[in-house]
Amino acid sequence: MASLTQRVRLGAPARTRVRALPRGLWALPPVAALALVFLYPLFLLVRQSFTPDEGGPMTAAYSEVLAEASFQDALVNTVLIAAGATLGCLVLGFALALVVAFVPFPGARALGRFIDIFLAFPSFLITLALLFVYGTTGVANGLWTSATGAGSGPFDFLHTPWGVLLAEITYFTPFVMRPLLAAFSQVETGQLEAAASLGARPRRIVRTVILPEALPSLAAGGALVLVMCLNEFGIVLFTGAKDVVTLPVLVYTKAILDGDYTGACVVAVVNIALSVALYAGYRALVARTGRREGGARRARAQQ
Amino acid sequence: MLVHSNKARAVIWTGFLLLFVPLFALPFAVILAASFATTWSGALPSGPTLTHYQDIAKGDSLNALVTSLLTALAASLLALAAGTWAALAAQRLGGRGKKVIDTLFMLPVAVPSVAVGLSLLVAFSQPPLLLNGTRQIVIIAHTVLVTAFAHQSVSAALDRLDPAYEQSAAALGARPAYVLWRVKLPLLLPSLTAATGLCFALSMGELSATMMIYPPDWLPLPVQIFATTDRGALFSGAALAVALMAATLLVLFGVSRIRTRASYR
Amino acid sequence: MTALPDTAAAPVAGRAASGIRFENVSVAYGTHTVLDGLDLTVEPGEVMALLGPSGSGKTTALRAVAGFVTPASGRVLIGGRDVTGLPPYKRGIGMVVQSYALFPHMRVADNVAFGLKAQKVPRAEIADRVTEALELTGMAGYARRYPRELSGGQQQRVAIARALAIRPGVLLLDEPLSALDAQLRSGMLAELARLHRELPDVSILYVTHDQVEALTLADRIAVMDRARLRDCGTPRELYRAPRTEFTASFVGNANLMPVTAGAGDGAVTFAGTELAVRGTEGVATGAEATLCVRPHLVGLGEGPNALRGRLAELQWRGATHRLYVEVAGHRVMADVRELRDTPAVGDEVTVHFAPEDAVLIPVGAGTDG
Repeated sequence: MASLTQRVRLGAPARTRVRALPRGLWALPPVAALALVFLYPLFLLVRQSFTPDEGGPMTAAYSEVLAEASFQDALVNTVLIAAGATLGCLVLGFALALVVAFVPFPGARALGRFIDIFLAFPSFLITLALLFVYGTTGVANGLWTSATGAGSGPFDFLHTPWGVLLAEITYFTPFVMRPLLAAFSQVETGQLEAAASLGARPRRIVRTVILPEALPSLAAGGALVLVMCLNEFGIVLFTGAKDVVTLPVLVYTKAILDGDYTGACVVAVVNIALSVALYAGYRALVARTGRREGGARRARAQQ
Repeated sequence: MLVHSNKARAVIWTGFLLLFVPLFALPFAVILAASFATTWSGALPSGPTLTHYQDIAKGDSLNALVTSLLTALAASLLALAAGTWAALAAQRLGGRGKKVIDTLFMLPVAVPSVAVGLSLLVAFSQPPLLLNGTRQIVIIAHTVLVTAFAHQSVSAALDRLDPAYEQSAAALGARPAYVLWRVKLPLLLPSLTAATGLCFALSMGELSATMMIYPPDWLPLPVQIFATTDRGALFSGAALAVALMAATLLVLFGVSRIRTRASYR
Repeated sequence: MTALPDTAAAPVAGRAASGIRFENVSVAYGTHTVLDGLDLTVEPGEVMALLGPSGSGKTTALRAVAGFVTPASGRVLIGGRDVTGLPPYKRGIGMVVQSYALFPHMRVADNVAFGLKAQKVPRAEIADRVTEALELTGMAGYARRYPRELSGGQQQRVAIARALAIRPGVLLLDEPLSALDAQLRSGMLAELARLHRELPDVSILYVTHDQVEALTLADRIAVMDRARLRDCGTPRELYRAPRTEFTASFVGNANLMPVTAGAGDGAVTFAGTELAVRGTEGVATGAEATLCVRPHLVGLGEGPNALRGRLAELQWRGATHRLYVEVAGHRVMADVRELRDTPAVGDEVTVHFAPEDAVLIPVGAGTDG
């Protein structure tokens, strides 16, 4: 019989004709509000970046900022940390999600809720916690000094890019796990049992059955984490490291500490361009997985 | 079930816990423990004290907490209204119009929060709208940043809603506004409350954009936490962080209570 | 319900007997035509079944009456009023969908009262009409329940009560029994028949793919296939004298045998054998045609119109045996009373049928082009 989707489709033309005018009108207020508080400011930000304080050509601020060593460092730092953190999140998230989904243990469900709560907390809490654990006077170093009698402990990476990396991997791994767990729930146990009954060992099942199913979600989760890492500010700010500067931190420093709005806008535009391009890729990936899953579900429903 | 032997399973679980607990559970435990301590340079914190919490109760920190709660409340309600409205309008439009609206409302997620803050600073430091230095600009920034999440979750819930409800109601003679108020919104209630909870939590913890725009008289809790830890008072910062987490959890819990009641009905 | 006084307050088109008329209604989605030039009239108080396979356009036709699809061309009339451009909420129709779509956040009574409240029926009257509708469907004892506390059959009854509470002149039922299991289904079928006896003024448009439901319930059946109306008539007409091959095979089982019309009236040739049929009007001498014989009207053994063949398959179905007899490359089905001595597969057998049970269908009748 007519499926739900068919009904939706068939319902569409009716509404088009009967109330074509009010429908477009209804969308106006929220879009206008968004334009006022988001799109218009964004436009001004871009315009400001092309309006150098001291006059000169429109791109004067760009050539100046792009030539700065601090900017180049920040760009390299941002990209490297984001790429590293994404890779770490993918590996760790995949492994953990695999265990939760396929080697279930009592309390695995509560763990899912824990992850949701985790996602609702601000990122800088992780850095704060790491300060207690690995800080110069923290737990790890304290244990070391009292055990060896040395003057200071060996753990001094918090104020380096490694500290940021550790914090970002910790904070963003759940963002990979959540879509993965959703994808894993789509894998039918029948498939796993069939593969196992045919003599496939777990490693082989993961590679040939589970991984292909999870690949789209893995890619989508990875892209999302990459974007969020590029935009991460709190974690880096809380490490308080002067030598770890990322693009968002540079925007903050230039605008608030130096009062160089035009320079800040230039950096922001670069950061936005980078993130939005990646985010567009992420949305495309999600749309593709959504279609694939929808198609699979439809196929199953028809059987 | 992927692993069948008990021994292998035990090994995997142990490995899982060894990774999971220190990485994900420990941070919160550490902050909680530190908030009751004066020093911590061994395995366990020492010098148990409640001073950090007593300080919260009488100082600026209480103001910061109230500021954060009010900001989050305003931002999440505004975001819910805007996001729901946009999602409903997008669904009515359908096709390309829906895609455009969905993309527009998801865009703030892609743009770095710091840049959102900066753009508001640039836009509202000049006429016609002079909002720089007001508390409204903080609320606006938070609303912009969390609306995307409200829009997304309401949108997803609308997609899942069986159109047969709406159509049956229309066939019974109910006008669109009546259908929206008596059928669609009640059915969406669980998603709406969930979205509000999420927006509230995100706004409570917002730091990036806030750092760019907060005025001296409207200083949210995350900024206060940063200021505290930045001047070296890590343990007071931990107490503030616990207050932040507790307030967030309390609201999330309350919201989930409404949610279960709504879905039980 | 007819015994109750009609209230002037009913704001939508009265429930005074109103039929449905499709006038050359076409519905297209993009370039895909899902309903093609439907002309059909449902008389006031009539039960019309729209019968057809998936994608035949029957649900689209129902949704065009409800106002959820807009015809690309043609008009839809309810009780003589052109409703083609009206939104659903102004049409005054009762509708029950496959999933029932009971509002899960409302109690049964509130579900039934929904349409009345939406149409601003006076408060005092609502309670009476809710009670009346619930009593009519035998659900009076469940008014305070929530839909999820009801069984599938009970939800079905509430959905019908909800649709009837607004006193529609027209009731649209979209596969109303498909979500029920077989046993409940036959019970509900009897229930629907009883409801219609109690509400003789209400026209019912009943969409189904199940021929048993259509045969049991409908005054007339409209057979649809591939976006078009293929046949329309009383169940008896369609079953006894199908006008198209599609009707013959979709309404009941049928042997469809390719024959050539002979010279005399009522004479055809099937695989070289001369057969006598009910009539050959409309088929020219020497023209190809299809002979339709119902399997239960085919007997085993010698008789009129005897066909000799080899038994290809034998199925025991409890009360009957189904024989598949291969006659000159065609399989003829015969449903006979349970046999004591069953022939073996491969045996030579003879089957026969009475001339008056054989209907001749002209080739191409009711198909496109």
